[in-house]
Amino acid sequence: MNVYVLVKYVPDTEAIVKVQSDSELEIENKYFTSFFDEVAIEEAVKLKEKFGGKVTVVTVDNKKIDALRRGIAMGADDAVQITDPALEGSDPFGIARVLAAFLKNEPYDLILCGRQAMDDDAGVIGPAVAELLNLPHVTAILGLEVADDGKSARVSRQIEGGKEQIHCRLPAVLTAQKGLNVPRIPQVMGMMKAMKAEVRKVDLAALSVDPTTVGESGQKVKILKYVPPPQRSTAKMMEEDFPENVKHLVKLLREEAKVL
Amino acid sequence: MAKGIWVFVERADSVVRKVSLELLCAASGFAQKTGDPVGAVLFGKGVDTTVENVKPYADRVYFMDDEKLATYTSDGYTLALTALANEHAPAILLAGSTSMGRDLFPRVAMRLETGLASDCTHLEIGEDGRLVATRPIYGGKVFCQVSIPDSSPQMATVRPNTFPVEEMNKSAEVIRIDSPIQEAEIRQRVEGVEKAAQEKVDVTEAEVVVGIGRGVKDPANFKIVQELADVLGATVGVTRSVVDNGWWDVNDQIGKSGKNISAKLYFAFGVSGAVHHVLGIQTCKTVVAVNTDPNALIFNYADYGVVGDMLQVIPALKEEIAKVKDEV
Repeated sequence: MNVYVLVKYVPDTEAIVKVQSDSELEIENKYFTSFFDEVAIEEAVKLKEKFGGKVTVVTVDNKKIDALRRGIAMGADDAVQITDPALEGSDPFGIARVLAAFLKNEPYDLILCGRQAMDDDAGVIGPAVAELLNLPHVTAILGLEVADDGKSARVSRQIEGGKEQIHCRLPAVLTAQKGLNVPRIPQVMGMMKAMKAEVRKVDLAALSVDPTTVGESGQKVKILKYVPPPQRSTAKMMEEDFPENVKHLVKLLREEAKVL
Repeated sequence: MAKGIWVFVERADSVVRKVSLELLCAASGFAQKTGDPVGAVLFGKGVDTTVENVKPYADRVYFMDDEKLATYTSDGYTLALTALANEHAPAILLAGSTSMGRDLFPRVAMRLETGLASDCTHLEIGEDGRLVATRPIYGGKVFCQVSIPDSSPQMATVRPNTFPVEEMNKSAEVIRIDSPIQEAEIRQRVEGVEKAAQEKVDVTEAEVVVGIGRGVKDPANFKIVQELADVLGATVGVTRSVVDNGWWDVNDQIGKSGKNISAKLYFAFGVSGAVHHVLGIQTCKTVVAVNTDPNALIFNYADYGVVGDMLQVIPALKEEIAKVKDEV
């Protein structure tokens, strides 16, 4: 099976991110491979272990290829970095165009990615790439069983109140949800392989992508300004002993907050 | 010229999802500013009752009644919605940020070559008559206001409980559309649904959520938690540590790698308040925290706090709330 995994290097969950001005963010220099993408990598490597074949990790990034190295360390075979100055300022729709332009010429059987990147949280890439490649897609998968002939898969998708079992034709784009698997921790051999891995670099010219459809000029969604998260003043603490404090709380919830 | 503020109406079984009604009410408010008609769009099989239920909330209801659309598939609903949008050119197209909305709208936006603001926590109409959407990024550590300036329709998915449902009494013109879809075009098939152990409303849609952290200490203690939830009519949610201990299903995990909730009332019992969890509760209206540690971070993110053992507080809270509800 030829599985392609779309990966992104993003600020770590613990990284401090703050609004510096309307148009600027202050982001602590602590990055990691977006967690949902790691789940996707793990799933791809498991499929390779079961069916044989190849896993290729792909990223769109002008600066860092750490997510590719993580993929190799976990068991991917090939790594591709799509990079071009014209890509600066691309929104997810622009990135999807570029990824689809690359994938269109690749012998994929299945394309995996995380359900959303942990920086923009848009959840656009998976479905948008599927649309451009005219492939079916399923988002937020919690289970995946590929048929022996590789032509279809049984997928479990998270929905409100449970899971949906879906039969989907392959090739397809599937986006990974937490719980699909537990990503392996790369071992020393994997880390060494990752450090030495050759990364294939691809630019827009190689993909015949019109630069005006990507980058800042290609943005469909424009950020008007950054705002800090909703603030709450520190909690009103109940000072009484138990059980008076509980009675007081309920009184406030009823009369002040009016939620009971 | 693009005209119309449309809401994609989602059904759960044959009941309209509350978030769809919330968005129709919001659309009505926006329409007063822009002069657009409000359109409701729905697909399914045997949708007559749903159409009736939606009529008071819209100026027009567009519906397709087709076996091929009986259950949601991204292929089927993408083809249906884009065909409709191409024909009628709405200015704005909204849906709930539900698993269906987040599965469907990015594909539709790409197909229509327009932009989408995902998982919005606020919407308004700007001075230029265009949508201004507020949405979280970096897991909700910061938010951004975005617009879709140059393309149409301006699309957005919106979190449940962002807008209120009000009583409306429009009487929509009902327009039945023939579905343009061929069987062969649908490459997915829903084979079954596995319902979660908890029968209640999903955490992302619940008005009241009881959140449980590591302070629960033992899975046996969930019994009293459920009793409180029952009295409140609440859904139980949990933190990552509870899920990682194998004590509760990941389906109900609240936080950065779990779900974001926008409950009217959220209780955080035995929750430390680590950033991972807090990012999932920011848009809750009233937050109550109970923790044995007076310095627990959670008290910085709550409106009301009680220092105490959740195992002692919960049964007392249940009694008190039951009393108060009886008085009504």
